[in-house]
Amino acid sequence: MKAEDVKVCVLRIEGTNCEDEMAYAFESVGATAEKVHLKQLTGQAPLEMRRSLEDYDILAFPGGFSAGDYIRAGAIFAARIRSAIGDDVKAFVEAEKPVLGVCNGFQILVELGLLPAKDGSIMDPVPTAALYNNDSARFECRPTLLRNDNNGKCVFTSSMKKKQVVMFPSAHGEGKLLSMDENFVQKLEDNDQVVFRYVAPEGEETKYPWNPNGSPSDIAGICNPAGNVMGLMPHPERVLTRFTHPDWTRGYETEEGDGILIFRSVMEKLLR
Amino acid sequence: MSVDRLMIKRDVPYQIYDVDVLSATDEELKELSAEMGLILALDEMKVIVDYFKKEGRNPTDIELQALGQAWSEHCCYKSSKNILKEFVFAIDHPDVLSRGDAGVMVFDDDYGYALRIESHNHPSAIEPYGGAATGIGGILRDVICMGAQPIGLVDPLCFGPIDTEKELPQGIKHPKYLTNGVVSGIRDYGNRMGIPTVSGGFFFDEKYTGNCLVNVGCLGIVKRDELAVNYAGGPGEVMILFGGNTGRDGIHGVTFASADLTSTSDEDSRGAVQLGDPITKEPTLHACLEVNKAGLITGMKDLGGGGLSCVIGEMALDAGCGADVDLEKVPLKEAGLAPWEIWVSESQERMMVTCKEENVEKILQIFEMWDVPATVVARTTDQPRTRIFWEGQPIFDMDLEFLTGGPVYNRPYVLPKVSTKANEKFPELPANNEVILKLLSDLNVASKEWAIRQYDHEVRAGTILRPMVGKMNMTGPGDATVLMPVQGRWKGLAAAVGCNPWFCEEDPYKGGMGCIDEACRNIIAVGARPHAFTDCLNFGNPEKPERLGEFREAVRGLGEICKKLKMPIPSGNVSLYNEAPGGIHILPTPMILGTGLIDDVRKAVSADFKEEGNLVFVVGKTLDEMAGSLLFRKFGGVEGDVPAVDVDNLIAPHGQDARSYGQVSGQSMPRLFRRRTRSGSLRDVHLRRHRSRYRPQGDGIPRDREETVLREQHQVDRRGQARERGRIPRDPR
Amino acid sequence: MTVIEIRVELKKGVADPEGKNTKKTVEALGFTGINSVKFVKVFEMDIDAPADKAKEMGEEMCRKLLANPVIQNYTVTVR
Repeated sequence: MKAEDVKVCVLRIEGTNCEDEMAYAFESVGATAEKVHLKQLTGQAPLEMRRSLEDYDILAFPGGFSAGDYIRAGAIFAARIRSAIGDDVKAFVEAEKPVLGVCNGFQILVELGLLPAKDGSIMDPVPTAALYNNDSARFECRPTLLRNDNNGKCVFTSSMKKKQVVMFPSAHGEGKLLSMDENFVQKLEDNDQVVFRYVAPEGEETKYPWNPNGSPSDIAGICNPAGNVMGLMPHPERVLTRFTHPDWTRGYETEEGDGILIFRSVMEKLLR
Repeated sequence: MSVDRLMIKRDVPYQIYDVDVLSATDEELKELSAEMGLILALDEMKVIVDYFKKEGRNPTDIELQALGQAWSEHCCYKSSKNILKEFVFAIDHPDVLSRGDAGVMVFDDDYGYALRIESHNHPSAIEPYGGAATGIGGILRDVICMGAQPIGLVDPLCFGPIDTEKELPQGIKHPKYLTNGVVSGIRDYGNRMGIPTVSGGFFFDEKYTGNCLVNVGCLGIVKRDELAVNYAGGPGEVMILFGGNTGRDGIHGVTFASADLTSTSDEDSRGAVQLGDPITKEPTLHACLEVNKAGLITGMKDLGGGGLSCVIGEMALDAGCGADVDLEKVPLKEAGLAPWEIWVSESQERMMVTCKEENVEKILQIFEMWDVPATVVARTTDQPRTRIFWEGQPIFDMDLEFLTGGPVYNRPYVLPKVSTKANEKFPELPANNEVILKLLSDLNVASKEWAIRQYDHEVRAGTILRPMVGKMNMTGPGDATVLMPVQGRWKGLAAAVGCNPWFCEEDPYKGGMGCIDEACRNIIAVGARPHAFTDCLNFGNPEKPERLGEFREAVRGLGEICKKLKMPIPSGNVSLYNEAPGGIHILPTPMILGTGLIDDVRKAVSADFKEEGNLVFVVGKTLDEMAGSLLFRKFGGVEGDVPAVDVDNLIAPHGQDARSYGQVSGQSMPRLFRRRTRSGSLRDVHLRRHRSRYRPQGDGIPRDREETVLREQHQVDRRGQARERGRIPRDPR
Repeated sequence: MTVIEIRVELKKGVADPEGKNTKKTVEALGFTGINSVKFVKVFEMDIDAPADKAKEMGEEMCRKLLANPVIQNYTVTVR
């Protein structure tokens, strides 16, 4: 398989608004990305515009405020997917094709039951976690440092070093990952489902604003038990180049941005 | 009421009145204007009577309402037009690509960028959240209908002091409530639309307590061969209304914006405040850009002030034709709106395109795909008239020249008294430390991070220099924001606000120049070349000679400096009648949004101190000009000279060619530039220390008001090398 | 035809920033003595079904969309 044969479906509905940069991120590692409206997958579009999910190799949920984030962030998008193409999405994940959700995309994956997903299940019928309001009670747009805490299961971090620290900016109002399960974090750890944790610069304690939302155990991103579905609150697609990092004028080693690692990892995995 | 006798209801199943103006007395005409909410003066009413005398009939209520809209200050600039013509309209520049709903300037050989700023003051004073949100919606539409993708929002705001404990007059909302509401409105609309809010500002002063200012600006990027126009292509075309439905929200918005706020504005004007819906709007943006890109439309325009009444007339008139409208086809939010209400409603999220008959189906299909409701409502004609029909029956038939002509006035003005050195009283100052702490704790100096971080300022992944700069989570305010509008191209667009109402109050002419000067230096400070401006001119009641004098002098200042700099103002907005109950007027507030170009964003310079041991330079002269300074305001100084702008120095400092600051920074020499601000360099040095943790050495902070430059040699080498090694992400196009 | 009211509220112990924020804002408007503010979502639905069926539908909607059991409780009442 050549890089340009990797077809990426960047899925959107009204209110999704990070699809341009998400598509560009996949294009910049050589893939062929297409911005697809959910109506194109559900047969509600003119014939020539209709698409089928199974024709794609990667599914990406970009950030934004899908359907206004009414009811709960991501809930309406998730409900529409579940009712119209739930089985297709399930089959896609079962086939171990990669699925990425960033920010609102992560919220959608949680509402859809694809994350965190219980042992042995692909897509839970009701959400088993929630991305809830930030402790600061407001939308926060700020740089965040993330540590790769995954031990190798997640396909989106496979070419990153273990414990590598990267800078992806955060911009959300609801990013605190909650669960009813008391042993939630431990179970995620045991399953190697923790991918990213917020960290402070060396020598400092990780608290607000380094953890921008108060997420327990500083969790910023997780994957499913199989490692092919990842959701995270911060935005790797916003830092493909060093010059969109917030502090580049203070000196830098490379012109490449940290975010490119996510997209390169999944491409390497697919092209191997 | 006595005007009832003039209103003759037609015997039809919808609500339409013939208004017997031909037999009305002067008193009745005045009362009619007030009763119908037209806000037209008696003389203007008489001109209307004369017109209908010639037509040989009485007007209908919808015709009078349309005139009230079209002849409002907001729509026809009747008090300001002549002054603007004299000083700013004439400045031309080869880079101006369009002066439409937004101005469009050359970005590079392939792209242009759009810029526009406007006010949403009165609605925000009544309902801060909705008022601010719909302000964002309106400015986005102005940019979109140039065919441009919006890439950045800018929102300078003025409020009363948020910590005021004074008893507020009836109908006035607490500045803290207004500030929170406006910030939330901007946040929710801007963030939901996915357009970064990249610049802005807060200004706090008692004079804004009764009439806050909410100015919203927007930048966009457009391929030059896709640049759209805001008028029809000619007669025989179809007009398609799309976006939101029409309701009673936002009726009389423009006439409301053209009158002072009163203590009952609160109750009276709820209907004039519009409700925003960013989620309807977001797909509308895509649909607009798609029909434009596909070459299916001839013109596109936003329904702003005056609603359908203005948009149909202007799209037709500017194409040299007229229009026939089937008003009953307009989709409504609720049943039972009278025709005049439909015609003047300013409901949000609505736009209009014109197209050739053969493209109607294709256009409707694209809107359908995006779930954007769209309806054919009118056709252009070769007669210079607007005619409206309700189920085939004529209810409106007016000459377009007359309708949109509107009166223009040379109202009387008096030149304001200007502060001078001769009358200066320097304040008694406490110990230096206390002075510094007091200045730093002023609302106008204190950190605005709480608001800035609620705005997503990096969505679209093109923000190179953010509004906050410095070490991560230890940041302070930057000078200008730098955007990379086209993915894969390093060319950048810088944006900065310039405004100093205190200078303008003490000397509107110098203050007006100072606003342009400040925007320029903000832009130069990041390493970009100033290129163009857009202005929102917020002033008091132009029927008061003192207020109009302030306006005239400030505009003269703006115009003169722009002429010397050879930089155009391709778009702008005037907001008059900014007065609170009791006649308290705002400070004269010309709000400037300046733009600059930078060939390679990788050479941009940020304001923070970079390393210990760096040298700090002051560029320019420091003069004894203290009027309007924070120091004088805080400690009771009186008058003094307002800083004059040394235009020659701004153009070519130290005898070098144009914008030599930009040249210097282009070589990666300086580590930072910093312009002067309201509180002078004292505050600047403190801010930079905060951002960087490095303490400047020396026994005193320089008492300048000019740029400081810091340079540092070995950093340059490191960055130079890094540039060689790096790769440019490829452009998929 | 039945009108049902669906009330979705936060579970005990889940922080309520929207309520807290509202409290702050009404206090800024000059109201005093506000002990607590709780943010609750209410949906009113007009359904073509008998009362018991309508209630059942409402509950099903909560399970499928309107409430996330991790953070929210719901009640459905027939009006």
